[in-house]
Amino acid sequence: MKKIIALSVLTLVNVAAHAEVRINGFANLIGGMTGSEDNLYGYDDTVSFESQSLFAIQVSGDINSKMTATGQIVARGANDYDPDFEWAYMTYKATDNLSVSAGRLRLPLFNYSASKDVGYSYHWMTTPEAVYNVPFNNLDGVRLDYSTYSGDWEYNASLSAGTFSDKAYDATLSGNNVLILAAEASYEWFKIRGVVGTGKVTLDLASSSSSDVVELGGGLDLMSAVGFSDLANDLQLENDTGEFLGLSAQVDKFDWFVSAEVTSIDVEQSFLAKTVAYYITAGIRTGAWTPSVTYEKSKTDDDIKFQNGIGQIAASPLPDSAKQGLMAVAVGSQLFSQGENNVLSATLRYDYDTNVAFKLDISKYSNDLNDSTDATLVRFGANYVF
Amino acid sequence: MHTHILRKGLISAAIGCSMSFVASAELVLVVHPSNDASLDAKAAQRIFLGKENKFSNGKEAIPINQSPDSAHRASFDTDTLGRSSTQVAAYWSKLVFTGKGIPPKEVGTDSEVIAMVADNQNAIGYVDSASVTGAVKAIPLN
Repeated sequence: MKKIIALSVLTLVNVAAHAEVRINGFANLIGGMTGSEDNLYGYDDTVSFESQSLFAIQVSGDINSKMTATGQIVARGANDYDPDFEWAYMTYKATDNLSVSAGRLRLPLFNYSASKDVGYSYHWMTTPEAVYNVPFNNLDGVRLDYSTYSGDWEYNASLSAGTFSDKAYDATLSGNNVLILAAEASYEWFKIRGVVGTGKVTLDLASSSSSDVVELGGGLDLMSAVGFSDLANDLQLENDTGEFLGLSAQVDKFDWFVSAEVTSIDVEQSFLAKTVAYYITAGIRTGAWTPSVTYEKSKTDDDIKFQNGIGQIAASPLPDSAKQGLMAVAVGSQLFSQGENNVLSATLRYDYDTNVAFKLDISKYSNDLNDSTDATLVRFGANYVF
Repeated sequence: MHTHILRKGLISAAIGCSMSFVASAELVLVVHPSNDASLDAKAAQRIFLGKENKFSNGKEAIPINQSPDSAHRASFDTDTLGRSSTQVAAYWSKLVFTGKGIPPKEVGTDSEVIAMVADNQNAIGYVDSASVTGAVKAIPLN
């Protein structure tokens, strides 16, 4: 990947000498604080700006009439504003309808995936976390985009293939053989989109900076060592097939809009519980003001998988303390990934200029299983594009 | 200093005048005289939103926009593109930062639009009908 990035940079530099290079940028400055002793999205009960603020620069240049090179450097507050090449890709426009992009690209999982970081482009403070906060965002690979239209209807389809590497449970999460098919149809004020994705997913528990997660990895190794390797393999996330499904619809009549999106993520042969998440949002546009409300919900399956394997531990001749320890790993790891929560937010956007918007947001987070983590968050922000 | 203030005053007075004049202006599409494509508001909408990069005759279309603070731009965005200038800006920010499009080039005045269109067989712009000259072909938007 480093090679591709270096290549793209070289190309951009090279392009600079010959053709027009476009430099655009965007910034989200978001401050927030929670209610007393609450925690949410990295905010606590003192005002802070790091968690969701970001600054980004995009450089793109035409290599020739059919090829473009694009690089996007993003500096996130959550990452101490260290700049990172999040996207670096080249696009070849094969025909008017078909283009091929290769390099590091955004995974086209959600309706707002591609513009997720560009706060100016939407009405929220940030895209709904219950749905959009997933531990895989960018793909190293290839994407084919096909678009066409018929009358007032427009159709887009994309097929992406490649690998990803990201963090989950403070550990390295990697995906191979990732394949994503997305299709959408839109008619002036209406848009519907569907996506299916699959990949071979591996979570390296030992690499985690969280001692609980490392301990879980050790527990699974032990389980394997004492003869329950089938169950340990079932629980482990090692080259297991993950499935992603998504569906969204939006109606935007300019004076008002409403949209909803639902997703499902499942790695069946692992300790991870299947998660279904959705949001529904609606708002009105009146002059420079856009007030809106959003309800988002995330819920995992709450059953315990691999009951047969767990039963074999119980039936084994091991000492009771050892059985209990192993069963705790088998059941605990699954409970660990389970959860159910919802967030209700009210957001106000004010368009100050054609490249600056100000926003105010109040969100109420409820954990349906453990109300001690319930939280209220107030955020204010400025979005800028150039 | 005083001359600056005076000049500023004159400019705002001039802008004020042109604004009130523009309010009653009628916008028309302008293309190169050799352009034989069939064009209407719908086709212009697709071209200016980057959804179409060719004219009906198959030739490349290069839209020339007016600057975001001009009254012509505001009425073109509202009447022809069907959304406010800030909504159009949000629309383009999405396309630009997803690598899916490049917004049209912007110029400051009707005469600049006409000069560019007269000079380029692929260009398409919009101006006040009163600004149209023989160097370009005008097409009504309604």
